Amino acid sequence: MAPNTQTRIKRIAISAFLLFHIVAITCWCLPFSSPLIAMFDNVIRPYFFWSGLFQSWDTFAPNPKLVNSYIEAIVIYKNGHTRNWVFPRMEKLSLTDRYWEERYRKFVENLREDANVALWPDAGRRIARLNNNNDISNPPEIVVLIRHWSEMVPYRSAPWHAQIFYEYNVKPEDLR
Amino acid sequence: MRLRSLVEAWNQFFFEPQSPLPVCLFRILYGCAVMGTLILLRPEWLTWYGTHAWVSLATMQKVAPGLRLNLFALIPQNDSWIEGLFWVFLGSAVFLTIGLLTRLSSISVFLCLTSIHQRDLYITHSGDTFLRVAGFFLMFAPAGVALSMDRLLRIWRGKEDAPVQPKSPWAQRMIQFEVALMYFTSFLWKSMGAPWVNGTALYYVLHLDEIRRFPIPQWIEQPLMLKLGSWLTLALEFSLGVLIWFKELRYPLLLCGLLFHLCLEYSLNIPMFQWDVLSAYVLFVDPVDINRVLNWMNGRLPAPLRRIAEIPA
Repeated sequence: MAPNTQTRIKRIAISAFLLFHIVAITCWCLPFSSPLIAMFDNVIRPYFFWSGLFQSWDTFAPNPKLVNSYIEAIVIYKNGHTRNWVFPRMEKLSLTDRYWEERYRKFVENLREDANVALWPDAGRRIARLNNNNDISNPPEIVVLIRHWSEMVPYRSAPWHAQIFYEYNVKPEDLR
Repeated sequence: MRLRSLVEAWNQFFFEPQSPLPVCLFRILYGCAVMGTLILLRPEWLTWYGTHAWVSLATMQKVAPGLRLNLFALIPQNDSWIEGLFWVFLGSAVFLTIGLLTRLSSISVFLCLTSIHQRDLYITHSGDTFLRVAGFFLMFAPAGVALSMDRLLRIWRGKEDAPVQPKSPWAQRMIQFEVALMYFTSFLWKSMGAPWVNGTALYYVLHLDEIRRFPIPQWIEQPLMLKLGSWLTLALEFSLGVLIWFKELRYPLLLCGLLFHLCLEYSLNIPMFQWDVLSAYVLFVDPVDINRVLNWMNGRLPAPLRRIAEIPA
């Protein structure tokens, strides 16, 4: 094959690759719903999830988060004693620590959502392990997750609310 | 407009050879951003990705099913292997930054980065997403032809002597496209929310306890300033998404974007996010200007290193 033809074929192949990705990424990202875009998104979804090209650029949008919140856990031991455990709260940490621990903020933001119920048992298990005193006669038996939140009212302080949203019964194998 | 002129414009934009300096410089900044992310995660590698992580691999596969590029699903599930994967990742990021085995390093970095995101999708922010999608296109870029150990080794072995040749910039263009699309869709999403339109959004953003960083001057917290700030954010995101393509407006917009991200870095605690995005600004800088700066710096480097960056004037 002549070098010119080879270059041409290569360029056509790259152009097809580029065109596909430009259209696909644009359709994936744009916040518009149309049957055509929805159909196209369905076609490209497996490829985007496989390749890691899935993306969304909706930070603080369409509405910024309107509540301050945190999650607390109560660990109930076999003998009835309890211990409070709180996920690292960025506002309580030093400036350096909050830079290192920021992933907890993101995780808690997701964990508190009802849509992410699938994450709750793992969180319960992990909290039980973190609070296990290695006392075989008195292991953690129940982990209760409580969400606290306060809706923001501009230029005013607002009350805090609390709600138990999950209870995990610890199994012996969770602590191994 | 004729179809032929459209094809010509396409070819010119994606394929007309240009200096690879911007994408090589981006490779270095990108590598630093990836290393920064990994180092910040270092104490918690196993907390988030280990066998007893906050989200187990099984749970993640249940909530995000389907075939995914995820090395965690391929390696044995024990903490030594998982730590090993992170060390490989860090090593690849170092190699990518210095430009050693650049193509291979960029593939390794992308695979590892995608894997840690796929392993736990609940702790990633937009900066991580940007690194991932930019990393995808960086794999295709001629990112090791300048400012790299690869080039230095080629020179030492006598395989390369001429100045760096211009290359097709299509991979660089795709990363630029991602940057512009990121700003433009951010603008679109925000413009759909009442708080951004009525100008109260910035109040909520700056008063999220969990995300606050350094104290903000009182005068910024005045309602009028917050409104202006909200609307300026919209205007800037639109401009960086659309007007950035106009050469005359590019540098002033990049400067505004830089100031915007530095303000966010000061006021909000979202580690690495601003630096992840800012690393890509260099892709919009004219290679001639980059060359000018490098030439100035070259005069201060030892002779062998000077040749790494050598490009046509």
